[in-house]
Amino acid sequence: MANVTLDEVTKIFEDESGEIVAVDDVNIDIKDGEFLVLVGPSGCGKSTTLRMVAGLEKPTRGTISVDGEAVTHLSPQERNVAMVFQSYALYPHMTVRGNMSFGLEEATDLSDEEIHTRVEDAATMLGIDDLLDRKPDELSGGQQQRVALGRAIVREPDAFLLDEPLANLDAKLRSEMRTELQHLQEDLDTTTIYVTHDQTEAMTMSDRIAVLNDGKLQQIGTPLECYHRPNNQFVAGFIGEPSMNFLPVTLEDGRLVGEHFEYPLREETRANLGDQTDLVLGIRPEDIEILDAASGDHEFPGIVDVVEPMGNENTVHVAFEGQDRTESELTATISGMRNVEGAESIGVGIPENAIHIFDGETGESLHNRDLGDVEGDRPLRGAEAA
Amino acid sequence: MSSESTYRRVASKLTFSYEDWTYRKLLVYTIAFTLVIIFLFPLVVAIVTSFKTRTAVTGTLPFVPVFPWQDGFTLAQWGQAFDVLQGGLVNSFLRAIPATTITAVLGSLTAYAITQIDWRGQIAVLLLLVSATFFPTQAAIVPLARFWTVYVPLEDHLGILWGLPLLEPYHGDLIALIISDIAYGIPVVTVLFRGYYQTINQELVEAAKIDGANIFRIYQRIILPISVPMFAVVFIFHFTQVWNSFLFPLIIMSGSGHPAAPATLVLGGLGQSLEGINYGLRMAGALLTALPTVVVFILAGDKFAKGITGGGTA
Repeated sequence: MANVTLDEVTKIFEDESGEIVAVDDVNIDIKDGEFLVLVGPSGCGKSTTLRMVAGLEKPTRGTISVDGEAVTHLSPQERNVAMVFQSYALYPHMTVRGNMSFGLEEATDLSDEEIHTRVEDAATMLGIDDLLDRKPDELSGGQQQRVALGRAIVREPDAFLLDEPLANLDAKLRSEMRTELQHLQEDLDTTTIYVTHDQTEAMTMSDRIAVLNDGKLQQIGTPLECYHRPNNQFVAGFIGEPSMNFLPVTLEDGRLVGEHFEYPLREETRANLGDQTDLVLGIRPEDIEILDAASGDHEFPGIVDVVEPMGNENTVHVAFEGQDRTESELTATISGMRNVEGAESIGVGIPENAIHIFDGETGESLHNRDLGDVEGDRPLRGAEAA
Repeated sequence: MSSESTYRRVASKLTFSYEDWTYRKLLVYTIAFTLVIIFLFPLVVAIVTSFKTRTAVTGTLPFVPVFPWQDGFTLAQWGQAFDVLQGGLVNSFLRAIPATTITAVLGSLTAYAITQIDWRGQIAVLLLLVSATFFPTQAAIVPLARFWTVYVPLEDHLGILWGLPLLEPYHGDLIALIISDIAYGIPVVTVLFRGYYQTINQELVEAAKIDGANIFRIYQRIILPISVPMFAVVFIFHFTQVWNSFLFPLIIMSGSGHPAAPATLVLGGLGQSLEGINYGLRMAGALLTALPTVVVFILAGDKFAKGITGGGTA
């Protein structure tokens, strides 16, 4: 167990067409026992970051340290980390037992007996103790996944590095493993860096999320911090499913003017915006109110385009009045028990305490939603106003 | 009426395509059988001839078999061929087994170094190896002969070895031959292994690195075990190559009379005498000499197929 620090880490790949900056000046401080999820779209540099921590890639610049000790120039063999690969990378010619004891045989001086005990213990913990004498190709995807985890656990490493470990599982198994991984990490209390492109995994499993895009760290914070107080439009759009709605607007006389609507702002909201007039209005689907008709300042007449029933909730695509229905700009989620039909005329409510406003050029967040309407008297974990 | 004409049109199309299909099949089978006959004909003639007496060879058509109950059938030529080739076959095994094994191991190691380890100059080494696979054997014979006779006469250099039991000074030429076979085999074997190692899941090697294994241990515990199908391919391929090769033994050893001469070299002088050529004996000798490569293929055949199709890759 250890804390892991990435200090101004940069990785540049060179090929015939020039330089590609895969990871750009990333600073992350991972506390001992913390579960950090690196999330971002494919090609954002998250796997490269993980591979640098593992020692499989050398950073072009910057320092990686474990417990304050620089490991940047150590080979993977010299670092006490364990990694789970997306393909699991189980040794095909070895049994499950062989796979799990390989690391202990190579990296430690443990006696055969100790190795045996550790492997048995880890296998029991993961429920694969009856598979120990099978070869990987005789196992199902979920079982292989457990073996890959077991191989990491027996090492008792400073840190677990997991590279999209659930990507090859089917949806049901994936959500089961998600919960199980969380339990496991809590029990073992080992520092974990987990790479995924799936924001649901990031939200549900992590202590903190680090959002990467184009090799740059966009935000690092608790899941709810990233959800409610995004640093910029990218984070706002990436975290949350369905994504936040973005409406390009301009600021005119204290109102946000869009193509099909005008949205008056309170004084305190406007104060956050400065001189910037080219803006983007953001609103989460669940914050949009679907009304019978528009009446207030923040309510607009609209037409329902398509309704996607999910059972527990309905996803409703809505167009502003005067807009072609198929160009619907807004996605709203409403209770599954509410009945809305396509082509229905409705009112769309965009409550001001739920809006986010971003700089139209830089995408930087200028105003984030109010958290005053949190239910109950406890603040949202980790999402207190900064 | 229109439905009837549609029916007819469809029916005629169906019948036509059915006939078309049978013609195709007939054509395919004709070509296949023709090829089979063309390929097997020489082999059949060789087998048939090896059982004929000298008079029967001249008295009958080459492909007409003589059965054990007929005149002109004999097994004597097989016995005679075995007597003459015995020593040569032993030499061939002494040559082909170490040459094949060492080439396979070195080729696999080289390919591992080229594909899985980063070092300076590996592209140059790879290019050298690839170009060496195109190097004609004939161009090497003069330098090779001079190298082993003038510059590195192993018989003199390895003098101490000849005192050991079972080793004779003439084995120096056999060792020279083995080394030449290895040197000549490494490029193509490396290229074969390289193709295989490039298909190995890279994460397997990375996982082993993180598990703490160094490059030698990764080779020994991961790469070597999963290369078994490729070893079968290389073993069959190179064993056949070495076993059948004639040029290298011819220039390194003085001729078929050399005590360390492999079977292919001995075969050259078999069945030749003042009375003319004994074709039956020559055929028996040739078949006898070809037998081990067939056996190797049968023994390693399933692994060979696996290696060829790239199966067994993790």
